[in-house]
Amino acid sequence: MGTPELKYQLKEQIIKFLNLISVTPEDIKDDEPLFGEGLGLDSIDSLELIVLMDREYGIKITDPKEGRKILVDINTMVDYIEKNRTK
Amino acid sequence: MFYIHQSSCISAQKAFSDPSETSLTASVNNKLYACDANYDMIPPNTLRRLGKAVKMGIATGMQVINQQAVDGIVIGTANGGLEDCIKFLNQIIEFEEGRLTPTNFVQSTTNAIAGQLGIMTVNKGYNITHVHRGLAFENALIDTEMLLQENPDRSYLIGGVDEISEYNYTIDTLAGCYKKEDVSNKNLLRAASAGSMAGEGAAMFLVNNSKQDAQASIRAIKTLHSTEFDSIEKTIQDFIQEHVSGEEKIDLILSGKNGDARLDAYYEKCVSLLPANTPVGYYKQLTGEFSTATAIALWIAVTLLSTNRLNALLEIPATLQPKNILLYNTCRGNQHSLILISKP
Repeated sequence: MGTPELKYQLKEQIIKFLNLISVTPEDIKDDEPLFGEGLGLDSIDSLELIVLMDREYGIKITDPKEGRKILVDINTMVDYIEKNRTK
Repeated sequence: MFYIHQSSCISAQKAFSDPSETSLTASVNNKLYACDANYDMIPPNTLRRLGKAVKMGIATGMQVINQQAVDGIVIGTANGGLEDCIKFLNQIIEFEEGRLTPTNFVQSTTNAIAGQLGIMTVNKGYNITHVHRGLAFENALIDTEMLLQENPDRSYLIGGVDEISEYNYTIDTLAGCYKKEDVSNKNLLRAASAGSMAGEGAAMFLVNNSKQDAQASIRAIKTLHSTEFDSIEKTIQDFIQEHVSGEEKIDLILSGKNGDARLDAYYEKCVSLLPANTPVGYYKQLTGEFSTATAIALWIAVTLLSTNRLNALLEIPATLQPKNILLYNTCRGNQHSLILISKP
């Protein structure tokens, strides 16, 4: 799977996992912040994203400092997934 | 005795919330799903995490609290956010007790409804949830009655909420709670077979000790756990004798009859203990059967005290304007409740 396809798939998964009502993958920009501004996610969502990374890509994020660098936007998440995925 | 001042309801019937609607909303696949309500008062980030029971509870609760602040919140729910609870339990199995998502767990606890209402209204007062299956709402009423005896100047939000869970519907159907054959709610009460029809909904009330401008008074509540027919009969008889005396009479029995032929004898006995020709209204063909359906029955009773707009749906005489209404309900034949409400 190429990077654009992976980005689209990840956006679909985020929408499904977080039940983002009336948001489509096209609404989420690759460099848009996931937390605070942009999508406006919060701390509970960060836990859901960590579970998503584990279940869908076999990636375990255990260090909170590491998590802050990965869960910035779609670009950073996809970059990390491509380098570390086990499934 | 205490008084009801505000009320709100979400049920399967559009006619309950929209006076211009007069037709019966039909059941779908032996279920009566509650109509979608306006959830604008719930912030979008909160709304997307909530299951239907919590959403219905917040929507009806906020509608009441927005009219008048309350000193505490008392909720009755047998199962709370059951659908989310089942999702969470399934995840435990599917992911072998590994990494689990927090949202389904947090929002599926039975006290999520009262908790969310407390958070959203910054209400740090009494906040409790009663979960006694078919008597959950009745126990919330009894708790509130005692609270008002201890704190006579306070006002409380009280309500009952439950939702249909697809998973539990299957289990309850296997247990004989719901009919196995296809049935329409229009014919539910005429079906001579075991089981009822699943339903869901929420009703909330603002209650206090002030008679002024009250919509209704709750004069008495009685609950009983029993399967012994004689004991149930005596309880109903004693309740009527104790609370309806002199020239007073019950103008309407609001019966919880639910189409389950095994329970008909209880409802028929209750009716037979009152003077002949006392009108009887039924509501489970409108709401479906669920553990806190008496909350919706109370909302119907409060509405009947002030308007006859629901008379046709309940199939009671169009001109009937009751002053005293007796609610009798049994959950599975082993939990029974009697509530007497009157015009203040």
